[in-house]
Amino acid sequence: MPKPKAVRREKPRERFSYDPTKVLTRLEEYGKRILEDIKIGKNPYFDIPMRGIGNVYFDEKRRVIRMGDKLSRRYFLNVAHARKFMQTLLIMAYVKRLVSENKHASLREAYYANKHTIPGTKENTFEDQRESDPIIEDLERMMGVLREEMHLTADRRGYIYGDIVIRDGEDEFNTSKLGMGGWAVPGTVEHLQFPEINVDYALVVETAAMADRLIEEKFPKKEKALIIATQGQASRGVRRLIHRLHYEEGLPIIVFTDGDPYGWYIYSTIKQGSINLAYLSDKLATPEAKFVGMTMDDIKRYGLENVTEKLKGIPPNKKGGPTADYKRILEEMEYPWFQNREWQRQLKMAVKMGVRIEQQALANKSLEFVAKRYLPEKINSGDLLP
Amino acid sequence: MAEANQLFKEFKIQSVSEFFRRNAAMLGYTGKIRSLTTVIHEAVTNSLDACEEAGILPYVRVEIEELGREHYKVIVEDNGPGIPEKYITHVFGKMLAGTKAHRNIQSRGQQGIGISGAVMFAQITSGKATRVITSTGDDRIIEAWVKIDVDRNEGKIVKKEKHPNPKGWRGTRIELEVKNVRYVRSKQGIYWYLKLTAIANPHAHIELIEPDGKLIVFPRSSEDIPEPPVEMKPHPRGVLTDDVYRMAKKTRRSSVKRFLVGEFSRISDKKIDELVEYIAALRLIKTEDDKNVQEQLYERLMKGEVKAVLRSFKGYTKVVKQVAKLMDKPPEKLSWHEAEEIVEAFRYMKFLAPPTHGLRPIGEENIEKGLTNILKPEFVTAVTRSPKVYSGGIPFQVEVGLAYGGEIPGGFELLRYANRVPLLFDAGSCVTTLAARSVDWRRYKVDDLDRAPLVLMINVISVHVPYTGTGKQSIANVEEIQNEIRLAIMDAARRLQTYLSGKHRRLHQAKRRRTFEKYVPEIAKALSVLTGEPEEEVKNYFLSYIEGHFAAKEAGGAEEVSENA
Repeated sequence: MPKPKAVRREKPRERFSYDPTKVLTRLEEYGKRILEDIKIGKNPYFDIPMRGIGNVYFDEKRRVIRMGDKLSRRYFLNVAHARKFMQTLLIMAYVKRLVSENKHASLREAYYANKHTIPGTKENTFEDQRESDPIIEDLERMMGVLREEMHLTADRRGYIYGDIVIRDGEDEFNTSKLGMGGWAVPGTVEHLQFPEINVDYALVVETAAMADRLIEEKFPKKEKALIIATQGQASRGVRRLIHRLHYEEGLPIIVFTDGDPYGWYIYSTIKQGSINLAYLSDKLATPEAKFVGMTMDDIKRYGLENVTEKLKGIPPNKKGGPTADYKRILEEMEYPWFQNREWQRQLKMAVKMGVRIEQQALANKSLEFVAKRYLPEKINSGDLLP
Repeated sequence: MAEANQLFKEFKIQSVSEFFRRNAAMLGYTGKIRSLTTVIHEAVTNSLDACEEAGILPYVRVEIEELGREHYKVIVEDNGPGIPEKYITHVFGKMLAGTKAHRNIQSRGQQGIGISGAVMFAQITSGKATRVITSTGDDRIIEAWVKIDVDRNEGKIVKKEKHPNPKGWRGTRIELEVKNVRYVRSKQGIYWYLKLTAIANPHAHIELIEPDGKLIVFPRSSEDIPEPPVEMKPHPRGVLTDDVYRMAKKTRRSSVKRFLVGEFSRISDKKIDELVEYIAALRLIKTEDDKNVQEQLYERLMKGEVKAVLRSFKGYTKVVKQVAKLMDKPPEKLSWHEAEEIVEAFRYMKFLAPPTHGLRPIGEENIEKGLTNILKPEFVTAVTRSPKVYSGGIPFQVEVGLAYGGEIPGGFELLRYANRVPLLFDAGSCVTTLAARSVDWRRYKVDDLDRAPLVLMINVISVHVPYTGTGKQSIANVEEIQNEIRLAIMDAARRLQTYLSGKHRRLHQAKRRRTFEKYVPEIAKALSVLTGEPEEEVKNYFLSYIEGHFAAKEAGGAEEVSENA
């Protein structure tokens, strides 16, 4: 009799809701207020929650990074603000048109659509996409709506593979029936629906190479797992998808990254959110996610000593240190969500051993090793880090 | 050995004219450019002085005609009081004659050599007589050709005609033919000289017709005729032995005491008693053999301890009585030595500062008018300091004008004047140049003086301007004068600074305003999309808001209107 699995699908906790009229109403409210201000001779402004580390905190209860309530006021009549004030209104008007016409635009399209020379000057409304992107982020924070809800999307990155059925507009498909490449996650996942889910959990994999390996070894089928390849740091689409699958469909989330500071940071972002998108943590972060590997313990346990690589930079006990990898590890040790015995042990070990270990290092044992032994052993026994 | 008679056979008495004929440089006739300027200067100065004394607003027209290589005819015409027929030879022919010689009075020219010097210069370069056409406004116009009899220092009319004066013309026109001169439109030429003269004399209308026929007009900008300067009695600290000696010979006063009290400023009967004590003390000190003791006594005298010094000598009362007798002598009997004693005593005594009512500054308002009228600047200011004294007793006064921007080209320009007369030469050593350069202009928002569109005019007024050398083109670096000039410049520069800061602020505001205005069309378009309100109306809301904001800012001056950020 097969042992019961340590991870399995739970009951949904959240229901998807997306209402385009909300965005339109908010946009109109802002426009009306600005107009009222100027009519009565008041300097019109926007209150925009401040970005940056100074305005984020770790919510111990929800265990996510949250945005604080510090606001910065963007005035029309202020030499330093006027241009951004104008840009904010341009993007707002653009969003209104997009949403009311039910069209979607990429960030780059939004930049080009709004870029033009201001009549009578040599100045452009936007000089660079680096000017329009932050305005869009400002709008998200200011209005409390997702960029995706404003029909502004980012490039797609990451893919999924597994026995689940997705309804995307008029199309419906099973992501395990699309070939070995799976289904590419779009920038916006708000409109997706999941009519059928036949997996026990989602395995989030850092590298495409590892995800491909697992698919080839038929891991998703055998283990009833959904593979989500992030391809490096997880995009917003992928993070939002993970969040939705967890909360709306009850799928446990298990993260599989390299055993190095970058991999751990990818995990940290999926789990607790990021400083940059702290205002979206409620929609992007999945604090219940767990970590399967790579861990420092794996090296000894699976005899991988000769396939480790040295950490970059100067260790903290050497002159000039810590730098590079060492420095990042020490920073991560300070993260509130890594304040538990297991993680502190892992991180300390990494510093002490001075090595990192990649997911692909498991191929040293054999190509099948990761799919047949490493992952099933650890996941089914619940040998996961918090 | 030659006999004295033999030697003295060649001895001749040289007339004043003869002397200046040989030493024309002393009168400013050096160099081809400067000589021509000097001729014009003498004629124009005469015209201006004559008009002022007669209370007439001057109209002066200068015409230069080129007759050949380095050969010109100079015509200067004015609307002055005219010259009575019998004085023509005096005015144009005699050196060291005139209405102002030997008077303690501020004047443009000096000892009355001016125009006769020009007549002489014309005569010795071209051989031609000076043509004078003048009328006092009666029924006749006199036309006379004047030459100078160098040997006798006398003017000589070589030809004279009388014409009817049906229109009642009044004024003087002189025509001089000069050679070995050159007309150049340089900073030392006539154009520049007249321009500077016009600035310092805004009540004068000055015209110039250049050799090529071009007419240049410096129009009048003020209707106030300056009051003619008044004579001032000399101050005891400003006189030399020779002055006292010669004045004593000429006075009609009955005693030395009355002469001193009556013909010097700041000398009272009480001061005479003091003077007697000082002279007595000086006499006694000179009898002391011990040099150290003598020095000490001089020092104490300087400190004003005259009575104590006297008491240190036995029988000093006898000496005091002797000196007191000197005061009762008829002044013409005053000996050179006695005059010397008086002047020496003056050096030790304290006097009130000399009166300054004789000084005639141009005045701040008129300087500003002059600068504005001729230079067309965007900013102008002037400072007239109150009179001060140098060398213990010579009153002087400094005024400066500062003009900035507008039609003034870049590059600092210093216009120097002494008693309103432009100084064109020897700028380097002049106290005005030194003072102007000693000011730290950057403190007044003039970052690069040599490129700033800035004109500084400095006028030093005194009955006795301390010129360096005979050229009378450069004022000596007297500490008191330099200080006054510096203070005046700094005062004016502070006002310039205020103006420049305000200008920068206004420029800054205009720039800010444009920043906001340029975004309005974009904002209006977007807000119109968001709210459905017509674009034009939204635009007007924003534009009138900006308008109101900057109007409030302007009204509030430098005060910042709250911007909340």
